[in-house]
Amino acid sequence: MLKAERMPAAPDYSVSDDETSLLARLRRGDPAAAREFYDAYAQRIHRFILHALGPGNDADAEDILQDTFMALAEGLPFFRGQSSLFTFACAIAHRKTVSFIRNRARRGELMKDHTAEVVRLIIEPAPDQDLKNALASLSSEHRQVLILKYVEDMTVAEIAAVLSMSEHAVESRLARARRALTKALA
Amino acid sequence: MKTQNAEEHIAARLKELAAERVRAPRDLAARFAAHLSKVASHPDAVPIRLCGSKLEARARGTLLSAAMKNGVRVMHACGAQTLCATCRVKVTEGGENLTPMTLKEKVSLRYHFSVSPRVRLACQARVLGPVEADAIFPLCGTLPGDA
Repeated sequence: MLKAERMPAAPDYSVSDDETSLLARLRRGDPAAAREFYDAYAQRIHRFILHALGPGNDADAEDILQDTFMALAEGLPFFRGQSSLFTFACAIAHRKTVSFIRNRARRGELMKDHTAEVVRLIIEPAPDQDLKNALASLSSEHRQVLILKYVEDMTVAEIAAVLSMSEHAVESRLARARRALTKALA
Repeated sequence: MKTQNAEEHIAARLKELAAERVRAPRDLAARFAAHLSKVASHPDAVPIRLCGSKLEARARGTLLSAAMKNGVRVMHACGAQTLCATCRVKVTEGGENLTPMTLKEKVSLRYHFSVSPRVRLACQARVLGPVEADAIFPLCGTLPGDA
């Protein structure tokens, strides 16, 4: 089969009809729309930030989530609708996370002591603990692409929009991340 | 085939995480709604961060005018004529929310050896959306004793 036949038509990642009305209400500052948006996406954005930071950073993840939602409120009036609302929100969360990691590195803060977390996991081991440990051993960049691709079901184009990278670079990073995770799980 | 199996295995394992419950703080929803209505009530005000200070810029106003209006020092020796490039700022976030560079701005930046897509002249770059930028010239921003 020719490659062109297998390739689907270029998908449209812009805001869907459902999201258009939600976006219009958000832009008007409707509190019900804000609640609806929060209920739909906050948990997924929080999970993305948690995985990007790695284990033992729950408090920092909450701070970043808060910064993300405040920046989102400020950025929504200027959102051009070229991606879905979730992609837009994830892009903001990614920038806030990267900025946090850079600032922490600049301040030369030592990594947090994870002893309490490790002890808790030994006492009450979760069934998917090997997966979590393997993920924790990866770099933040690798965790982010894996979570966006396989947990959030984003396309490569959407991930590229979130991480401000080319699609080719995302594919390469995904391949490296998969190899690293396979190695860590082995 | 082996690679495909490995990918399917990883996808299946990572899918387990999608079922994991993550609790987002409830009080944040109310704060988000409050902030959203505050932003919506001022459609012409664009929140920006300049030299670490949070300011409100007028939509389509220059970064320099926002700085001057809000008491943030940004050097502009030539009086916003694009001659001195002392108002250079490094855009750290939201570069796409500034108007594109004009020829005058490009020429000035090239003349002053500051050709980078992240470096803009505060007197020329107009605000279209949220932006974060830092002045490059020293002794800018808010200095001790300014307040």
